[in-house]
Amino acid sequence: MVEAFVAVFQRPNFLTFVIIFLWGFYIMVTRFNLVKKLIGMYLMQTSVIFFLVSISAKKGATIPVLLSTTEPVKAVNYANPLPHVLTLTAIVVGVATLGVGLALCAAIYRKYGSLDEQDILEKLK
Amino acid sequence: MSHQLPAIIFLLPLFAAISMPVVCLKNRHWSHPISVGTLVVMVLVSIINLYNVIHHGEIRYVFSGWSVPLGIEWVADGLASVILVLLSALALLGVVFSRTTSPKALGGRIVHYYTLVLLLISALTGIAFARDLFNLFVFLEVAAISSYALIGVAGGRALFAAFRYLVLGTLGASLYLLGVSYLYAVSGTLNMSDLAERLPLLLHSKALVGGLLFMFIGLGIKMALVPFHAWMPEAYTYAPDSVSPILASLVTKVALLAWIRIMYWVLNATIIINEIPILVMVAVLGALAAVIGATLALAQREIKMMFAYGGISHIGIILIGISQGNQTGFAGGVFYLLNDAVMQAALFFLAGVAYCQFGVRTVDDLGRIGKQAPWLIGFLVVVALGMIGLPPTGGFFGKWYIILGALEAGNYVSVAAVVVSTLLTLAYFVRLFEAIFRRGTTPMEVQVVEIPVSSKLTLGITSAAIIILGLFSAPIIQLLLDQAMPPRL
Repeated sequence: MVEAFVAVFQRPNFLTFVIIFLWGFYIMVTRFNLVKKLIGMYLMQTSVIFFLVSISAKKGATIPVLLSTTEPVKAVNYANPLPHVLTLTAIVVGVATLGVGLALCAAIYRKYGSLDEQDILEKLK
Repeated sequence: MSHQLPAIIFLLPLFAAISMPVVCLKNRHWSHPISVGTLVVMVLVSIINLYNVIHHGEIRYVFSGWSVPLGIEWVADGLASVILVLLSALALLGVVFSRTTSPKALGGRIVHYYTLVLLLISALTGIAFARDLFNLFVFLEVAAISSYALIGVAGGRALFAAFRYLVLGTLGASLYLLGVSYLYAVSGTLNMSDLAERLPLLLHSKALVGGLLFMFIGLGIKMALVPFHAWMPEAYTYAPDSVSPILASLVTKVALLAWIRIMYWVLNATIIINEIPILVMVAVLGALAAVIGATLALAQREIKMMFAYGGISHIGIILIGISQGNQTGFAGGVFYLLNDAVMQAALFFLAGVAYCQFGVRTVDDLGRIGKQAPWLIGFLVVVALGMIGLPPTGGFFGKWYIILGALEAGNYVSVAAVVVSTLLTLAYFVRLFEAIFRRGTTPMEVQVVEIPVSSKLTLGITSAAIIILGLFSAPIIQLLLDQAMPPRL
């Protein structure tokens, strides 16, 4: 039990990721306001992006640009660039999803005059 | 030239989609002929690609010359090529069908509609070809974003269904991305074949199990597997009539293709990770989906809702087929996937015609069109035979090979699930026909409407395809057995 706690606190980035992810999920599930749901959704996406970035970090490493072209490359000295590239793409995907979501929200508001899920469900009946 | 075919197939609809808003800014009526032309070319190129793959082997396409574990790889193998012919042909039929319904039903947003459909098709092409887990994620999201927008394109009740789909779909995508980052953290690679080589050494890893679980849950949401299917019936029911055939026949099936890729091309599906036998788990999920989906379909009043739940149960049957762990079951599952895509398209075309021409939305109202349109009932009979799985249609042979595979694996629960699901499907189609042929229904007062040629054409082609797939099932299954098998099955 104690070892498990120690293991968790030695990796604060994973702990942060779990907290943000579950926080976003909680907001998404419990709030009735559609825009708040979108905020929860975006928090959740961002937490995954945070996780991707955090697994590429290394202690004492620098940006992945070769310091010298003559010496042999030591991978330990450089942060892993690939998760950052994935992160950029994931951010773009997240922004596009959020844009479509907000457009849908605006259309829903114009049609039903409300952003509250329960109001809308009542009007649908 | 032939090694460029995957890129050509992908770029055709993409370029058409990008240029559409510019070209059709002033002339909105150009958008239909442009999309039809693009998709006709795409069907031809995919057939050439399939021919090429059968005769000269698979094409491995590496982007901008970066070699495999580093670069992004696309592979046009037998499975992807067969699916692509189906995908482009059904997309063409869907666009031809939309000619009649779109101006009224889409609220004037015709250019938006064609742009989004072409974007969706190019993203689905990317999913079929991608052999890189992150590339797969990107295309899954492009396809999902275009489907959210397509469902909401006409406004109305569909907006709320599209919003729910967006929230759940994004949850699925986030879980999938989380799974991919777990696998990357464990193995250090994103390429499927590279990952398949490294995984046997990592089987003790808990991160591997977690990552795979997240990926399968994410893809399960995308393909409306039973515990995660809540978004699907509403979204497909309230979507405009020219949108739902394309979505119902293609999006969930291609997500299922991604599931198959990860199950067989990344994992060797017969392995047991931490005492979890993957095949048994997937077979149980499939059996649940097949039975629960068909039961829920039986309880529906709206026609499109009933067909959407039917689609959910068929996803389950396909999963049962591919989870038997032998070649017969896998070929049967993939063959059933082809059939199911055609049948879903035909069902939603029928529902679209029933609403647009006769104003019928619910099962009880169907009785009103019985006398008016005997040909519509004829098409419905053919599709019903396919959905239930009676002999001359492809549905029968698909289920037949799935059951043969299950018997070969000694998996009697799967056989029972397929049979129960078939009986339930029979039950809801009996309910449909009972409503049509019930006596004493008041005939419709509406004047007889001329049925557009394009509706008749699309319905005729899909109904004929259901029977042709049945008549030529032996060569198609043989083709799948020869060309589309996973590497270690």
